[in-house]
Amino acid sequence: MPLSRWTRRLPLGALRRMPGLTPGTRSLHRHLLLWLLLPQLVLWLAAASFTYQLADRYANQAIDASLSTASRALARQVKPSGSGLLIDFPRAAQDIIEADPDDRVYYMVSTPPGEFILGNSQMPQPPAITEPRLGQPYLYDGILRDPASGDRRRDVTVRVAALYLAYGEPGKPQRMLVQVARSRTSREELARQILIDTALPLSLLIVLMSVIVWGGIRGGLAPLARLRSVVESRATNDLAPIRLEAAPEEVRSLALALNTLLAEVRENVNTQKRFISDAAHQMRTPLAGLKSQTELALSSAAVCADPELQARLQRVHESATRSAHLVSQLLALARAEPEAAMAQSRTRFDLQRLAREVAAEQVPRAIAAGIDLGSDDTELTETQLPVLGNLMLIREALVNLVDNAIRYAGRGASVTVSAHAEGSDAVVTVEDTGFGVPEVDHERIFQRFARATHEGNGCGLGLAIVKEIVERSRGSVSLKSVQPHGLRVTVRLPLSTTTRA
Amino acid sequence: MKLLLAEDDTILADALTSNLKASGFDVEVAANGAVAEYLLLRHDFDIGVLDLGLPLVDGLTVLKKVRATKPGLPMMVLTALDGMEQRVAGLNAGADDYLTKPFDFPELEARIRALLRRAHGNTGTAAVQQTGLLRFDREARRASIDRTPIELSPREWTLLDLLLTQRDRVVTKEQIAQGWTPDPNEQNLGSIEVYIHRLRRKLEGSMVSIRTVRGLGYLLETEP
Repeated sequence: MPLSRWTRRLPLGALRRMPGLTPGTRSLHRHLLLWLLLPQLVLWLAAASFTYQLADRYANQAIDASLSTASRALARQVKPSGSGLLIDFPRAAQDIIEADPDDRVYYMVSTPPGEFILGNSQMPQPPAITEPRLGQPYLYDGILRDPASGDRRRDVTVRVAALYLAYGEPGKPQRMLVQVARSRTSREELARQILIDTALPLSLLIVLMSVIVWGGIRGGLAPLARLRSVVESRATNDLAPIRLEAAPEEVRSLALALNTLLAEVRENVNTQKRFISDAAHQMRTPLAGLKSQTELALSSAAVCADPELQARLQRVHESATRSAHLVSQLLALARAEPEAAMAQSRTRFDLQRLAREVAAEQVPRAIAAGIDLGSDDTELTETQLPVLGNLMLIREALVNLVDNAIRYAGRGASVTVSAHAEGSDAVVTVEDTGFGVPEVDHERIFQRFARATHEGNGCGLGLAIVKEIVERSRGSVSLKSVQPHGLRVTVRLPLSTTTRA
Repeated sequence: MKLLLAEDDTILADALTSNLKASGFDVEVAANGAVAEYLLLRHDFDIGVLDLGLPLVDGLTVLKKVRATKPGLPMMVLTALDGMEQRVAGLNAGADDYLTKPFDFPELEARIRALLRRAHGNTGTAAVQQTGLLRFDREARRASIDRTPIELSPREWTLLDLLLTQRDRVVTKEQIAQGWTPDPNEQNLGSIEVYIHRLRRKLEGSMVSIRTVRGLGYLLETEP
C-alpha cells in the first residue's frame, strides 16, 4: 500500500473511531450535573423535614404555654366558698379564652373524681395519676367527642392543659381540676406557616444553586468542548500540534497528550516521506542510465537493421520514461505534502501570467503530440489575477493540468487554457476536446494512482498532485464534461486582496 | 570540444560518453569528485558536466572550487535532486544550467550547446544561424534563403531575430512588442499580425515556418 493511503487515513479520523472514545452515551456534563444536584435535592428534602419537625415543636411549645396560662387564669376565677366552689366567670375572661373564633377553645372545671362543674363535659381525661402535682399543668393530646351527634367524623383532636388545684379547709383538703383544650388545627396551621416561611426561601435558594451549578459546569467544561471542536475541525492529514490558549490544567494536559501522539505520528509520516523522497532520488540515476543506454542502443546500426529488436528496445525506453515520470510525480507529491508545503515560501504573483507561461512552455510538446494548445484569453489584458501562494507548487499544479490534457486528449484535439477573475476567486480552466472522462469517474480520478484510462504512459498521480497543491493553497479543483466531448478542469484560488506595496 | 563528465554511475556515464562522442565531443570521465576537481583545474576543458552526488568530494564543492579558479568555464549540473532549494543552491554555487535526472539525451545536448554558444559568443546567440534553408547573419545584418538575399525592414529583422533565438519555443506578442520598443505606451499589438504575415511570405521556400499559437503567440519551426 502506498504512503498516500496511509497518510490520508491518519490519525485524527482513527482517533475519533477509537472504541474507548465512543461519544454520546455518557456525557461528563450530565454526569457532573447528576452528582451535584441529586445530593443537593436529598439534603434539601432532609432540611425541609427537619424544619417541619422543629416548627411543630415550637408551635407546640407556644400553644402549651398559652394553654397553661389560660388554665391558670381560669383557675383564678374559681373561688372556694365553703365546701363548694364559686365560679366567677365574667364575659371578659371568656373572651380571652375563646379569643380566636376559628380556633375553638374548650374548658372544663371539675372536682375529681368525676364531679363536673363547668364547661365541656366531654373533655378527655388526663392520664391516670394517683398523686397529681398541684399547681403544675399537665399537657397532653386527646380527642374531644361531639356528644350531640355522636358522629366520629366531628371529633376534634385537641391539646389539653390540665391543672390540679387544692382548696378547702386545711383539715379537709380537696382537689379541683381545671382543663383548657384547644384544637390541634391551629397548631398545625402554625407549624405549616413556619415550614412555608423557611422552605420557600430554601427552595428559591436551591433553584438558584442549580442554575449556578449548571452554569459552572458548562463554563468549566467549555475548554473541553473547545478542544473537541479544534480536533474535529481539523483536516485528516493535519498533524500540527493542537494549540489551546488559556485552557485549564486538565485540558492542557489532555491536549499535551494528544500532541505527543500527533508528534509521534508526524515523525512516522515524515520518516515514511523521507524514505519515499530518498528512494525516488536513488532511482533517478539508474533510470537515467537505463534511458541513455536504450537511446544509445536504439541509434546503433545493428538495432536499426532489426525492426523487431528496435520495437522491443523502444518499449524498454518507453517503460523507462514512464518510470522516470512516476518518480518525478512521487517527488512532486512529497513536496506538496503539508509539512513540505509549509516550509516553502508564499509570494504574490499573477495567476494569469503564470497560466500563459505554463501553456506557452508546453506548446512544443503539444505540437509533437498533434494537439492544438492555446489560450482564449484576450492578449495583454490589463487585469491581473494576484494570488498568494507558493509559485513553484502552483506552477507544478498547472503544468500537471496541461500535461494531463496533452497526454489524454488524443491527437487532433485542442486544449485551451484560460484565466479570469470570478467574484473573489482567480479561476484557471484547462479545457480539451478529447474523449472526456465519464461523470462517474470524476471523483475517483483525483485519488492517487486512479486513472481514467489505460492509454498513454501516465501514472495516475497528476490530478492527485493538483488537488493536493490547490487545496493546500486554499483553493479548489473540479471537473466538468463539455459538449460534445471533452473535459474542463477548473482551478479556483482566492484572489489576494492586499494592496500592492 | 573538450568535455568533462563527472558521473559516478558507470552505466549512465558509459551511455552519456557514447552519445556525447557520437555528437562530436571529446569526452573525459571522472568517477568521483576528487578526480573531477583535479582534471577541471589542471586541464583545459570547454565545458564541465557535473553530477552533484559524487563520491569523495560532492559536486557542489567541486563546483565552487572550479568557479573560484575558472569563472569563465561553462558548468552544467546533473542531479537526482530537483527540489527548489537544491536548484537554488546549485545555481548559487555557480552552475550555468541545471538538468534533473532522468533526462532525454537530445535535451542534454541542446543545453550543452546553448551553454557553449553563450560562452563563446557572449550574446547568447550565434552570430550566424542556419535554420532550414535560412541563413541569418547577425554580424553582417544579412539574411538569405538558399543564397538568395531577402530584404527585411528593421521591425521584421527584430521579429525574425527573436523567433530564431527562441526557435521551437513560443514567442508572445508582448515579447515581440517589447523587442520593437521598450516603452509600453508605444507598443501596438494589433500591428504584429501584419508583420507576421509579411514575414511568412518572405520566408516561403526556406523550410522555416511561423506557427500561430492560439492566444499565446508565435513559434518558429523547421519543416521536416
